[in-house]
Order: sequence, then C-alpha cells, then structure tokens
Amino acid sequence: MNGIYLLKRLITSFAAFCIAVTIMFALLRLMPGDYITMYLEAIYRYAPPDVVEAFNHVYGLDRPILEQYVIYLLDAFRGNWGYSFIYKVPVLTVIGERLVWTLILLLPATILATLAGIGIGAYSGWRRGSKTDIALLNSMIIIRAIPSYWLALMILIIFAYYLNLFPLGGYVDTGALTTGIDPLDVANHAVLPVLTLFLFSVTGTYYLMRSSMLMTAGEDYITTARAKGLDELMILRKHALKNAMLPMVTLITFECAGMITGSIFVETIFSWPGLGMLTYKALAVRDLPLLQGILLIDTLFVIAANIAADLIYPLVDPRVQVGDDA
Amino acid sequence: MHKKIVLAASLGIVFAYCAVALLAPVIAPYDPHAITGAPLSPPDRDHLLGTNDLAQDIFSGLIWGTRATLLLGFVGAAIAVTVGTAAGIVSGYYGGLIDEAVMRLLDVAMTIPIFPLLLILTTFFRPGIYLIAVLMGLLGSFQGVRLIRSQVLSLAVADFVVGTRALGAGDGYIMARHILPGVLPLAGVKFVTSAQHFMLIGIGLGFLGITDPSVVDWGQMINRASQNGAMILGLWWWLIPPGLAVTLISLALAWLGYACEDEINPRLRVMRV
Repeated sequence: MNGIYLLKRLITSFAAFCIAVTIMFALLRLMPGDYITMYLEAIYRYAPPDVVEAFNHVYGLDRPILEQYVIYLLDAFRGNWGYSFIYKVPVLTVIGERLVWTLILLLPATILATLAGIGIGAYSGWRRGSKTDIALLNSMIIIRAIPSYWLALMILIIFAYYLNLFPLGGYVDTGALTTGIDPLDVANHAVLPVLTLFLFSVTGTYYLMRSSMLMTAGEDYITTARAKGLDELMILRKHALKNAMLPMVTLITFECAGMITGSIFVETIFSWPGLGMLTYKALAVRDLPLLQGILLIDTLFVIAANIAADLIYPLVDPRVQVGDDA
Repeated sequence: MHKKIVLAASLGIVFAYCAVALLAPVIAPYDPHAITGAPLSPPDRDHLLGTNDLAQDIFSGLIWGTRATLLLGFVGAAIAVTVGTAAGIVSGYYGGLIDEAVMRLLDVAMTIPIFPLLLILTTFFRPGIYLIAVLMGLLGSFQGVRLIRSQVLSLAVADFVVGTRALGAGDGYIMARHILPGVLPLAGVKFVTSAQHFMLIGIGLGFLGITDPSVVDWGQMINRASQNGAMILGLWWWLIPPGLAVTLISLALAWLGYACEDEINPRLRVMRV
C-alpha cells in the first residue's frame, strides 16, 4: 500500500471529522441567546445573577470563543460529546446502546444487497439487450424510484398487516418481558426492515455492476478469450466478472451514506430501536447534542467504510497499488 | 420504438404535474388547510379522497402538494447543477493547484454524510421551503462537480480549445463559449436525476416532520396518515395517494434521466426499455 495515499486518506478523514464538529460548534453559537438562556431556562430565570455567572464560569462559557472552540474540538476527540437533552445521559452512551440494533439491520442488508446486486448486475450486463436484461433493468429502475419510506410502509401493510406474516414493528414480542430476548424472535422482527433496506440498496449496486459489465464486455481481452474458443461461462467467470467487479469497491462509500439515510426512514416506520429511530426522536424534540452525536457517528461510519475500501482494493486487484494514478 | 413511448410518457407526466402545480387554486375544490366537513370521512362526491383527522380535504392537499414537490426538486436541482457545473469547469479547466484544492475539499465534504447534516441544518434554521431547497442544492452539488470535471479534463486539451486560445481568446471566453456547451448535455442529465433525488429527499424531510408549516407537502401527509392510524383503520385513500403521487413523478424523472443518459453515452446504449 502506498504510504502517501494512506496519509492523504487519514488527513481527509481527520479534516472531515473536524469540519463536522466545527459545524455543530458554529450552530450552537449562532443560536439566539446563549446556552443558559436557551436550554437551562429555569436556572436563568430564577437563579440570582451571580449563580448564572458561576455556572457560565464553571462550564467555560465566559472564555474567549476561540478557546471554547479548541476545548470543544478536543472534547469531541476524547469522546465527550455532551449530554442528550431528552435522555439526560452522555450522548455517546445513548448512541452506543442503539448502534448494535442498527448494525443488526444494516450488516445483513448490505451484504445481501452487494452479493445480489453484483450477481444480477453481472448477468444483466453480460446478456445485454436480452429480454431478461430489459426486464431486470426496468424493475430496478422502478424499485429505485420508489421512496424508501413509501416502500417501507407498503411492505409493512402488505406483509405484516394484510398477510400477517411478520410482526407490525418493534424488535421483540411483549413475551420477552418474562422470557428474555430470544434471538429468533428478533430475527423474525428484523425480516421486513432488512428486506426494505435490501431493496433500497440493491438497485445501486446492480446499476453500477451492469454498466461496469457493459464496459468490460466490450474489451479486447474478452474478444481474445472468445477467439481462443473458451465457452461463454468460462469467459464470464474467469475474465469478465473479475474485471467488472473492480469499480464496486469504491461504491461502498456512497452505499454507506445511503444506508444511513435509508435506516432513518426504515427504523422509524418499523419502530426498530436503532440510530435511525433515535434520529427521528431527537429531531422531534430538537435535541441538538444528540443530533450532533449522530452526525459524528455517521461520519465515522463513512470514514471506516472508506478505509475498508482502501484496504480491500489491492486484495481484489493485485495489479493496482492504491494511490497510483492509473 | 418502446423507448419513444416511455420517453413521451415520462415527459407527459412531468408536464402534467407542472400544469397541476400551476393550476392548483383552480383544480383544488378546497383550501388544503380549511376544515371542510366531518373528520375522517370516506371518499364521496364532495371529498374525492375523503378528509383527514383534521377534516381537511385530502384531494385538495394532494393537488397543492404538487407545488412543494416540484419546487423542492427543481430549485434544488437548479442550484446543485449550477454550482456543480461552475466548480467542475473551473477545476477541470485550470487544473493544477486549483484542481487539487477543489478535489481535496470534495474528498473531505463527501466524507460527511449529507442527509444527517441536512437534517441538522434544516432543524436549526426554521425550515422554510426555499431554505430546504437551497440547502439540498448546495449539499447535493458535490457529486456533480466530479462528474463535470472529468468531462472538462478532456475538453480542455481538445484541439478546438487549444486553437481558440492560440487565436488569443481569454480563459473566461473559452470556458463560457467552448467548454460549457460541451458539458451541457451531461449537466442536463444531472439536472433531471438531481430533481428526482431532491424530490424524494424533500418529501422525506416532510415525513420526518421537518416542514414549512405554511406549505402542504406529501411527506407531511404520509406521516400524518401513518401516525394517526390510517393503516390500522384501513383508510387507504388517506395513506396511499400521496405516496403514489411521489412515486409516479419520481419514476417519470428516473426514466427521463436514463433515456437522456442513454442518448449521450453510446457505450450504455442497450436500453430499449
């Protein structure tokens, strides 16, 4: 791996995190009134002025703005992301509890969508122009055009309400109160949200894989392979698929940000207790510290995905050293 | 043949939506905010799609909601494409340090997930519909910069550009008269796909409760219906129409985008829809 490239990536990630923190800092300062008048109204209104002053002093709110900014930034790196207004506990604690639940949905959905998208996309691109290809392409365009929140609602209505195959929402049955959480029960509740996220995500992978396959199928080495007399399946497996899959690694970044967006809607609709529903709740009561924490954790998500893609790339394509201009 | 039908149908849908948006006061039988009868009444002659829990006419809301949807989509897309094209042309044409700086900035900006950031910004500023459209446009312009820039890179060294420069043309002139026309088709496709994307996002914001209270939008309608038991009570006329309306315009724009992309990118030309 190219050291300079990795360094660049680290600097970019670092800068992105700092900017996310800076935006939040700026927003909090831009608010009408200061922290204490806005959020600790009771103290501001009823406490004597010297108590207010003492409060501001203890929390560093009377220091120069630049100093406050540096403290804020350092705290963000230390994991001190402030206290949630509604939960009255550190933001990171609230997020930590919810993160697992989001991952329970996101991991299977992403893995399944990536595999299916690559498989179907490769097939579609290889058999371009065929009836199957056209049918697949059109279904994917249609699925992609349906808003995720609407898709989630329709899936909920059809599979849970009318067909009664799966629970209407939540993550466990009420029986869990006495028997404890049963993994099978959780899985049963996760089916519909995972299905929605899968449909939401598979189209992007499919479309990119299909275009990539279209490009690859026109390459000279495919013609050469055919001239050698290899059978089609062999060409597809040994020559086309491997090359067409390369651009897929970079997709992970976009996919990751998209999945975060999707999970906000899907979790809200299925009452799944993850980060997405937490976002919805925090929005409803304007819990800014919590929203800030969610933005930061989402940024870290994307950074992690980027670095993972960088590490995977040389494994998939031994020719390319990441960071080469080629 | 089929492709032409789909293209015509998509264009037809888009124009129909525009017409409905323009003629909303004429078409809609009621003020979408007004109380017009009994709450939760089923569809009948007076209320084509019944009324919601506040006794507002759902059909009128649907008609007026077209305005918000188109506005969010098209204003957002116009801003995103303008910013993206301008930045892409400058970055790709000058190259060197400017290009490097723009690219590094983009790397950083694209690491921050846009949707959560949009949620925070719109929550923080009192959400007005124009503000939402502008914020979406600005945050959504990053991808366009890359797209346009890659096209400009090859145009900037093309013979006709080098020739024009040899004739003594200035940078501004070359960018406006020779580079811009070259990237316009690409920018056009980007406009259509961005408009679709921003409509979905804008209505999604409404669904999450971030809305301009003075505007009727479909996201808010879907949210209200799903939060107030439309599903359990089987009130399909309340829950289904707004979602169907978004899906239809989104689908039309998606098809339009694919058809245009197919037209300008011959390597992908296999789409016979």
